[in-house]
Amino acid sequence: MAELPKKTIVVTRFDPDKDEAPRQQRYEIPVEPDWKVLDALNYIKDNVDPTLSHRWSCRMAVCGSCGMNVDGDAKLTCKDALSDYGDVVEVAPLANFPVIRDLVVEIEAFMEKFQKVKPFILRAKELAVEAGPTHQSPAELDDYRQFSMCINCMLCYAACPVVSNEPDFLGPAAIALGHRYNLDTRDEGQRERHAVFRDDGGIFSCSFANECSRVCPKHVDPAGAIQQAKLQNVIDWVTRLLPGGGGER
Amino acid sequence: MSELRPGVDAMRPARAGATRTADSRPPDGFPGASRYRGYLGFGFGGFFLVTVSLLVLRAVWALGNGEAAWDRVQQSFQNPIYVLFHALAFLWLTWFTLRLFRLFPKTQPKRIGPLERPPDALLVAGLSGVFVVVTLVVAAILWGAF
Repeated sequence: MAELPKKTIVVTRFDPDKDEAPRQQRYEIPVEPDWKVLDALNYIKDNVDPTLSHRWSCRMAVCGSCGMNVDGDAKLTCKDALSDYGDVVEVAPLANFPVIRDLVVEIEAFMEKFQKVKPFILRAKELAVEAGPTHQSPAELDDYRQFSMCINCMLCYAACPVVSNEPDFLGPAAIALGHRYNLDTRDEGQRERHAVFRDDGGIFSCSFANECSRVCPKHVDPAGAIQQAKLQNVIDWVTRLLPGGGGER
Repeated sequence: MSELRPGVDAMRPARAGATRTADSRPPDGFPGASRYRGYLGFGFGGFFLVTVSLLVLRAVWALGNGEAAWDRVQQSFQNPIYVLFHALAFLWLTWFTLRLFRLFPKTQPKRIGPLERPPDALLVAGLSGVFVVVTLVVAAILWGAF
């Protein structure tokens, strides 16, 4: 059987009990031609160095767990082919996030930002079960469908220069998700979310680097969501100034 | 009674306080990578906005201080440094406006009222066309064509 070609995987390591700062470790491993970057990391973990820590779960670009920086760019490692890179591949934890260990990042702040945008259906009054199902046409579903494809992989946060400069910035995924509910015809919480969006660190902190949409593995276009939210927000603000303003759902 | 009890502390961190973490770092290549040029160019425009605002304030102040002061300000604006500055500011504003038009389709929902959103290229071309026409008309007025 022919010997497999080899690649050098340079992994950023950090042990909070020993290391002052992250360091790099090189692993030369044999690689199969159809491997993803995640396969290489799993090979290292299983066969070379069991102390390596990284997050992963579904291996099919659905769970959003295995986001990392590969050769300087935010990637979903289960979707990213190893053959797209040279003989030396650098794998680092996602940028803009504190590192807990090796390639595992701290996501507490990310979860807090998500909660702020109230990512669920808000109703002024709960509908009675007897009222039957709430109908939504395919066209109405299509209005927000794209923004509901987010898998919370956090690549957009790792790529966004505004997140680096303004730690309070809600960030692309949270805003896209909030906007997704604002577009949902079943929702009545636009005003509440507009207030969150308008606040410090909200949508107007975004100066459109478009990095979030560039790196999104699910083609969600969070940058588009933020620009749409800006326009909606301004319309909402102007509407409120008009006599009798407040008719918006 | 059994000594066994549920492991209610199973998820408690081994050490008190927050987990020690390594500092986060900015995205690789920032700010030197070419993909950040637009973002940085947008931010750098603040320099032109602030400076032009100060110049406008200076001109307004001169307006309130008589014809001689106004003439002096107009004279000073013919200095090559001011001319160069305004040329650069105009170039930046043109780039900024065209970038804004290019991004405009992104601000639009998939449907505008009952209608489908027009094609992106049509929106960009329409806005750019209006911009060019308005710029030419204003330039012609300032040139004294009308």
